[in-house]
Amino acid sequence: MGIHRGHQARPLEWLAEKFIFLVSLTAILMVFLIFVFVAREALPLVLGQMNSAAARPVIAAKEMDKLKPEELRTYLGLTATEFKQLDKEALQALMEVREEEAKEAPKDKDATLNTTEWRYLFQPHQWSDSRPEDRYVWQPIGRIHKYNLVPLIIGSLKTTAVALLFSVPLALAAALYVSQLASPTMKEWLKPAIELLSGVPSVVLGFFALMVLASFLQGAFGYQSRLNAFVAGIALGLAVIPVVFSIAEDALTSVPRAYTQAALALGASKWQAAWQIVLPAAAPGVFAAVVLGFGRAIGETMVVLMASGNASIMSFSLFDSTRSITATIAAELAEAVFGGHHYRILFLIGAMLFVVTFLTNLAGDLIMHRLKGRLEGKAK
Amino acid sequence: MTATDAKANRLDFRSRGFDFASFAFTGITGLATLFILAILAIIIANIVWHGWGTFSWRFLTGSADQDMFDVNKAGVLPMVIGTALRVLVMTIVVVPVGVITAVYLTEYAHSTALTTRVIRGAVNNLAGVPSIVFGLFGLGFFISFIGRGLDGGAAEPLWGKPAIVWASLTLSVMTLPLVIVATEESLRAITPGLREASLALGATKLETIIKIVLPEALPGILTGGILAVGRAGGEVAPILFTGAAYYMRDLPHSLTDQFMDLGYHVFILSTQSPDIEKTRPILFATVLALLLLTLSLNLVAVIVRARVRKRMRASH
Amino acid sequence: MAAFSSSQVTLNQSKPADGAGAPLITSERVNLFYGPAQALKDITLTIGERRVTAFIGPSGCGKSTFLRCFNRMNDLIDSVRITGSIKVGGQDIHSPDVDVIELRKRIGMVFQKSNPFPKSIYDNVAYGLKLHGMKAKSDLDTAVEQSLRGAALWDEVKDRLHSSALGLSGGQQQRLCIARAIAIKPEILLMDEPASALDPIATAKIEELILALKREFTIVIVTHNMQQAARISDHTAFFYLGELVEFDATAKIFTNPAKRQTEDYVTGRFG
Repeated sequence: MGIHRGHQARPLEWLAEKFIFLVSLTAILMVFLIFVFVAREALPLVLGQMNSAAARPVIAAKEMDKLKPEELRTYLGLTATEFKQLDKEALQALMEVREEEAKEAPKDKDATLNTTEWRYLFQPHQWSDSRPEDRYVWQPIGRIHKYNLVPLIIGSLKTTAVALLFSVPLALAAALYVSQLASPTMKEWLKPAIELLSGVPSVVLGFFALMVLASFLQGAFGYQSRLNAFVAGIALGLAVIPVVFSIAEDALTSVPRAYTQAALALGASKWQAAWQIVLPAAAPGVFAAVVLGFGRAIGETMVVLMASGNASIMSFSLFDSTRSITATIAAELAEAVFGGHHYRILFLIGAMLFVVTFLTNLAGDLIMHRLKGRLEGKAK
Repeated sequence: MTATDAKANRLDFRSRGFDFASFAFTGITGLATLFILAILAIIIANIVWHGWGTFSWRFLTGSADQDMFDVNKAGVLPMVIGTALRVLVMTIVVVPVGVITAVYLTEYAHSTALTTRVIRGAVNNLAGVPSIVFGLFGLGFFISFIGRGLDGGAAEPLWGKPAIVWASLTLSVMTLPLVIVATEESLRAITPGLREASLALGATKLETIIKIVLPEALPGILTGGILAVGRAGGEVAPILFTGAAYYMRDLPHSLTDQFMDLGYHVFILSTQSPDIEKTRPILFATVLALLLLTLSLNLVAVIVRARVRKRMRASH
Repeated sequence: MAAFSSSQVTLNQSKPADGAGAPLITSERVNLFYGPAQALKDITLTIGERRVTAFIGPSGCGKSTFLRCFNRMNDLIDSVRITGSIKVGGQDIHSPDVDVIELRKRIGMVFQKSNPFPKSIYDNVAYGLKLHGMKAKSDLDTAVEQSLRGAALWDEVKDRLHSSALGLSGGQQQRLCIARAIAIKPEILLMDEPASALDPIATAKIEELILALKREFTIVIVTHNMQQAARISDHTAFFYLGELVEFDATAKIFTNPAKRQTEDYVTGRFG
């Protein structure tokens, strides 16, 4: 009888299913790899294996034979494989270079500091060659490599704050209008039109901020430096609007029509139904929209790189030039020595950025999940 | 007042005057919508206005080997080709992977299973990773790890340096969620009846997917692909360290070459021009070229997507 | 039709001695659960060959769910659990060595909402044939024509076989779905409220068709229209709240039911 053919009769089907499953794991693998490989480049720094001191203790080249191989390797800052490839003469030469360097190294007290230690990354320090008010300094190039991250973090937060203050009210109001008040025909036009804004590349937004918006805003508000956190924040807001709008609009639309109709049948006006019934029901989704908008803003690079003025000044004023974490990576990585401390610091802040956006997304995701459950009546 | 009067009063439906709250609420939200659209319009109009004069066939097809900062000689052909190449390679990688993932999520996965939730979480997370982090990832993983691994310590690196292939792969990781989400949406828009009909005829799951489900989902897959191309076409941050070149005399010959890029060129002209006033027309025209590319792609995607959504609503 | 000779099921066919026909489908103590909720309770019944059997009952009584057990369409829902046995032609269809794909080739199905593929009329009918290995154009042409004639659709569509099936009217679409189902020559045809979305004229055509198809196929039809059941079926099963209340010759169910509930339902005194 024909139907007596077992499942093993379809190996292709079985193979295809396994293959499809394996491919679908790509997304997980990628998230994992991103973290691993960004963190990997920063790892030596985190483990305290990097030393950025301009003046390091010197061992005379002729003393080389007295050192154990392991001590010599650490002294020269070589990896095990590099060390193996070098013969004695090459090592000797490296030691001489080191001696030479030491002669030219700056003599002040800061020159012996390893500036990649945590306390120099986050805590204030009075550098011998900076003004007393500059206790948080990001200045990777120079006699002493100053890697204080606080000005960059503040720069990122400043531009992000401006971006959110500008974009969230606009995007939410537009989402309310499009989802609740506009006629269906209007909605069909408005939604794609606003989403078209997400099709404007961020380099174009940056360009627009730099060439047009900056002068316009300076004229309107009359502040000192043309490029600053305010300009960058507004331009960044343009990148955030479509994100917040899309998610909030989806959340508002997903509230069952029955709610609105019930309110309207009780004599509420359209806006009362939208404001008093739909908005509270969709509140978690709206919140998620803001959270994800934050993630977009803090991770955006080109807009900030081009419109913020790029000065790593420790300042809370919105009208000072500023520099964000993302812009710092973009601007400096190309010039950083491969595998050097500057390079690794840039990967470190990249990894920090990844962790922040990862958590932000996770939070946004969980909130949306809850909302969905609540609207479908599943969650408690 | 008589009883009849009272009743007549209760049944008086004439408007009780101006509803200010309603007017204000609609006005404010409507104005916000209008304001956003106005900004979009201003950006586009400004670029078209200033860029149109320089934007010409010669500009689009001219090479950059004479002087890329000279208005009369500069062309953007190498950038157009570079951008097209990296996006093409990216599409070839990302579309199959994205479509297969979406097929798994809609056709095979149990929606409540842990694996499914983790995959979804990963997709959403990938969508939120900052573009500059993708750049770092491309450098750390593709170039340092894979590229240098392939070179195996050769003196002259072939793979372990910025190249089209690495930029494209980096971008395909970045755009993977776009393709997955768009494909998934269109897979879900297909009425379950079609799948049932096919299965009831004795088709296997795979046959049903290949012959019925995927052809039906084609518009959605296209949307995903187009969105990915539109997004990747304008991205600069991920290619800063993975392949974009400031200047190259020749066009790239192989996938291991670096390339010039439209978006990166906009960045260079905006921030590193020798004479910003003189190069301004080139800048605006380059931006116009980039914007035409990304916006037209987005427009097509938006239209296709609207159709898919409409059909979905009609069928449910 | 050489391609199909191998897929013809040979059953132990004894000519129907009584009015019930030779038993083709037997279900014994079938229980079905959606997660914790029980949708079918202890259903035991036997369906005869070359007969039209109707399942009637109020919405949510389990009649469609039960119908979908026969070709194991319920497998597609994750949370479904089935106990008891369903035998088709003497074989337990839940036995581990049964290939559900082969099973579905032998048991055709027509759904409540007509669901033609978004392909041409011709391709809709040819889809199943191609799946099961028919390749030659001439064979396909013959089989498509035969099936469309069988579904009383040929005269209406013969001039536009290659235009989209979605351009047909609702009734035509449903007959196309029937043509598609009978093209692969199943033994049994399951119909899940096939006329519920159609107007009276289209419904009449479908009913006419069902009576004609009865000569070749065993038909099980779910309907919420009692007159329809009375008009076309030989046997009728009345379901209520997941239970099989009564199963008998149609004439008996509608004129002299044994149970009070059945009588209430068929006479319309029922909520």
